[in-house]
Amino acid sequence: MGSGAWSTNVYSAAKAYRSRTGKSAFAYSDSMSGTNRVDWRVHDSLDPARANIRESRDSDEHPTSQAISVIFDVTGSMGSIPRTLQTKLPGLFGLLLRKGYLAHPQIMFGGIGDATCDRVPLQVGQFESDNRMDDDLGNIFLEGGGGGQRTESYELAMYFMARHTSMDCLEKRGRRGYLFLLGDEMAYGHVKASEVRDIIGDDVTEDIPLTDIVAELRTKFEVYFIVPGGAYHGRDQTITKFWRSLFGQNVIVLDDLAAVCETIALTIGLNEEAIDLAEGLEHLTDVGFDSTAVVGKALAPLASSRSIAVTSDSLDAGGALDIPGKAQRL
Amino acid sequence: MNNEHVIVVDLGFGDAGKGTIVDWLCRDGERSAVVRFNGGAQAAHNVVTDDGRHHTFAQFGAGTFVPGVPTHLAHSVLVDPFALAGEAEHLESIGVGDVFDRLTIDERALITTPWHRAANHARELARGGDRHGSCGMGIGETARYALAHPDDALTVGDCRHPRTLHRKLRAMRERLGTSDWAPDDDAPARGVVDPPDVDDVMEVLGLFAGTVHIVDGGHVGGLLERGPVVFEGAQGVLLDEWAGFHPYTTWSTTTTANAMSIVAEHGHRATRLGVVRTYTTRHGVGPLPTEDDSLTALLPEPHNGTGPWQGAFRVGHFDAVAHRYALAATGGVDALAVTHVDVVNTAGASRPGICDEYRTQDGMPWVPVPPHGHDLDRQARLADTLTSITPVIREAPETGVEWLDEVSALLDVPVAVASYGPTAAAKRRMNG
Repeated sequence: MGSGAWSTNVYSAAKAYRSRTGKSAFAYSDSMSGTNRVDWRVHDSLDPARANIRESRDSDEHPTSQAISVIFDVTGSMGSIPRTLQTKLPGLFGLLLRKGYLAHPQIMFGGIGDATCDRVPLQVGQFESDNRMDDDLGNIFLEGGGGGQRTESYELAMYFMARHTSMDCLEKRGRRGYLFLLGDEMAYGHVKASEVRDIIGDDVTEDIPLTDIVAELRTKFEVYFIVPGGAYHGRDQTITKFWRSLFGQNVIVLDDLAAVCETIALTIGLNEEAIDLAEGLEHLTDVGFDSTAVVGKALAPLASSRSIAVTSDSLDAGGALDIPGKAQRL
Repeated sequence: MNNEHVIVVDLGFGDAGKGTIVDWLCRDGERSAVVRFNGGAQAAHNVVTDDGRHHTFAQFGAGTFVPGVPTHLAHSVLVDPFALAGEAEHLESIGVGDVFDRLTIDERALITTPWHRAANHARELARGGDRHGSCGMGIGETARYALAHPDDALTVGDCRHPRTLHRKLRAMRERLGTSDWAPDDDAPARGVVDPPDVDDVMEVLGLFAGTVHIVDGGHVGGLLERGPVVFEGAQGVLLDEWAGFHPYTTWSTTTTANAMSIVAEHGHRATRLGVVRTYTTRHGVGPLPTEDDSLTALLPEPHNGTGPWQGAFRVGHFDAVAHRYALAATGGVDALAVTHVDVVNTAGASRPGICDEYRTQDGMPWVPVPPHGHDLDRQARLADTLTSITPVIREAPETGVEWLDEVSALLDVPVAVASYGPTAAAKRRMNG
């Protein structure tokens, strides 16, 4: 009738599992695409259910860490853009450092799908200050699904970022993290409790209105939304308006997402008041980028909003008050 | 059996050789995956390779020696992540290093913890001389706990959610892990357990969730689409929770029922393969009508020692009556796999005989009839009767070939494969 052939010792089991960690990353998305849809799943390193808290911490090497998150829509409406992002974003780190916009960036990547119909609706990496962030990026699964109803589960990603991140930049120095969301559709009106339970594992019992989670998120992050001008819904004014109603001037329409890296870097540079737009564009030329036209166009509205005083209109719009600078901090 | 899904079940009390048959089925490249559909870490399916490596498969599928063959643990399996780690280490030590990459587990499968095991030990000790032949792995306690506390039963999927995991583990330790835990209200078993802390168990289960591939119920459908699959049963039909001889049973459905429902659910069909030895065995206590101590001495059992909890390995003559009962209980099989045929050829005059009939004390023929429903009192009466009947044992044919014909006629099922030794090379595919 069988037997207990193998040791069930708690401590040796822990040791055995621990010895297996640290395996090398592989081309996750490609390997998944060759399998049945029922087998599609989030890579272990990006599973929000296993993530608990994503931390950005200071260290001796990086005493003033600054958290930056880039989370992009991986659904079908984005076409080939997610793959472009996967190839372009690894350059972001170097770009930030080269011109000294930030001394110690820590970058986290993630992917957004549609929790109502996708196998892998949310993927979240770690904040990293070295090439491990490339591994996370490489492990993001480009599901390419989506529901076709012009909504994706951005709100779920916002919930995760609001409730499952902890950052020394904020906790020690009162400087919020940066969160760049990239996508071409709208969010759902509520963070659904059932999805939070299933996908993240929190014991949440009630749906959370989108505006509530946005408010909560913005206490921790300076949030930007980048809409691709070239994607399927990119030129749809409803979608741009939707995001403007949440993030005001912080919505950036970018005609060519191949320039995403430079756009994010310059946005941070503007926000840190390290540069004005003209200087930033010069920097791009300095380091050999030919994307100044597209980046300049995308960031012109944002740059002009920096130079004017905060008005009651922009307060209502919800975005402009968050002009970062060095003054008004938590 | 070419290119078909195959369900492998044992028509006796376990140990007939399912493991070696599953290994053989995977060897020719026809079967692309092994699905376990019942039992848990107490399974012990021994496989020996042609180059002499040996592994006792408990949770990994017995096709794991064949490169690339994955194992899926279905929702009806009880998963022990603690024993799983040890089993993986042994497989690695004999050159099979990618076992976790090839393992998927249904998120609904129940988890067996060290506290279940401790409760199992306490309960068996409290039974004194009246043991049930448990393997001591906590399988029954896992099933019992899930029935008693359905909301707090721990599943594989829970291991991905630290808060849920912590809550359930705390409740579990509270109920099962205290040193004055009582298996029954009137039979306290104090001081027998030394349970680990919640935090230590939590750590292992978190690492487990980070190592294995946890999938939903749709996964097995994908496996079935991709190619023919082997469903590897655990234990034997005569140990079935409802059809076995109560209380000497396992808390698991050991018939083809679980596998058949998985196959049907995804719109597929499968061939049912029933495994028997040329003699009938039982590991641990409970009825074994044809038991013969002289056979136990004659037929060495290299991989089945005396277990501290389940007791000795026991041997009897081929029991056609018991196997017919098993066939009826599982709803029949399409073909037989017969193992240890070499024993018929080599043991000569001292070879095991065949039992085709039971007689009562007053000499009347008596046939055990399988249950129609879930009536454990009835099964207990059956077990009781089995200890008083006399098996009529006659001499078996002298050659393996004749023996296979005879057993096929006795059970009215064709023999599809005969095994003459532990390795895949010792298997013979039969005509028909």
